[in-house]
Amino acid sequence: MDWKPEISRPQNSLPTQPYDRWVSPDGYCQAEFHKHDLGFLIRFPNQADFLIEKPRESKRFGITGWPAPECDEKTVINLFHNAIQPILGNYNGGLFLHGSAVMIEGEGTADEAGAIAFLGLSRDGKTTLAGSFARAGQPFLTEDVIDLRLSEGQYWLQPKRSKLRLFADSARYLFGEETPIKDADLKQDVEAGGALPFASHAVPLRQIFVLGTDHRASLSIRQYSMQEALSALMPHSFILDVEDKPRLQAHFARLADLSQDIACYVLDFTRDYAELPGVRGAILDNCRGA
Amino acid sequence: MQLSDRFTVSEDVVAREVGGEMVLLDLSSGQYFGLDTIGGRIWELLSERPHKLTELCDCIDTEFDAPRERIEADLMALAKQLQDQELIVADAA
Repeated sequence: MDWKPEISRPQNSLPTQPYDRWVSPDGYCQAEFHKHDLGFLIRFPNQADFLIEKPRESKRFGITGWPAPECDEKTVINLFHNAIQPILGNYNGGLFLHGSAVMIEGEGTADEAGAIAFLGLSRDGKTTLAGSFARAGQPFLTEDVIDLRLSEGQYWLQPKRSKLRLFADSARYLFGEETPIKDADLKQDVEAGGALPFASHAVPLRQIFVLGTDHRASLSIRQYSMQEALSALMPHSFILDVEDKPRLQAHFARLADLSQDIACYVLDFTRDYAELPGVRGAILDNCRGA
Repeated sequence: MQLSDRFTVSEDVVAREVGGEMVLLDLSSGQYFGLDTIGGRIWELLSERPHKLTELCDCIDTEFDAPRERIEADLMALAKQLQDQELIVADAA
């Protein structure tokens, strides 16, 4: 979807109190959700404001985004793809989750290829893990947004943008110490290519791994019960209106179906680059043994 | 709490049966709860419309093989737990 932000504007205080917030584990407010006369206003502090206009005569939402003065256009476009689109996708009955995914080939024909998804909070290592698989030959499908479409009894995981956004240390680990870094404090865009294969077609989802939050934990994989899986998946959803109970109930039902159809695991591992080959091996063994 | 008390489900709860168990999400607290087969059936009945506890006992008595005294005792205990967690609320009507 071709979408461009407006020119930047200051993030002046808003006349409404947010009805919902996204807060990171360290307490940082990542997004505020406000009701607006025309629909919703989503504020990403120091990054951008998005006005989501409810459809009137057309069937599509109107989406207007203003970068904050200190934010570049690229960041706003990333927010559009990695937050606004999945939020509206779920609002419209889709199944979007916050995570990365890679494609693994089957033991036999290419028809047996499948996707494995990694769900996690910000800075839990989703993109680095996907990048690690890609560098080892398993193409990545997405780095931040899991878009699932149910067809013929399978959840087809859709490829998203063909780039990874990596912090400097992860970029250097994956591509070498000589990797040029534009800004050590910001994520770097790394386009797919020969050294970083990308899967450009949808593949069926095989397994979901939810990344544990203890970054010093030893490597372990434990399967969730279906009930545990549902509660583990829900926090990784993109929800526009937490006060819209019919839509929430419908989304909860879609996740319940997913948790019954797809094996879901909690994956713990020490966040140490040297551990990643072992982590990949354990995940692949788990997939083969399923 | 008495068997003649009438309850309904809280508006802040979404629920779905998963693998034979009813999973509840309390939207106000973000907490999840699980109900077994009989608890799930009670939740289904309360979701359809408000019920007196004695009406719920009648349904369970019909559908499950258990002594009436035990059904009533277990239902009272469950209703108290659900009310304490604000998953069900008294219905004044």
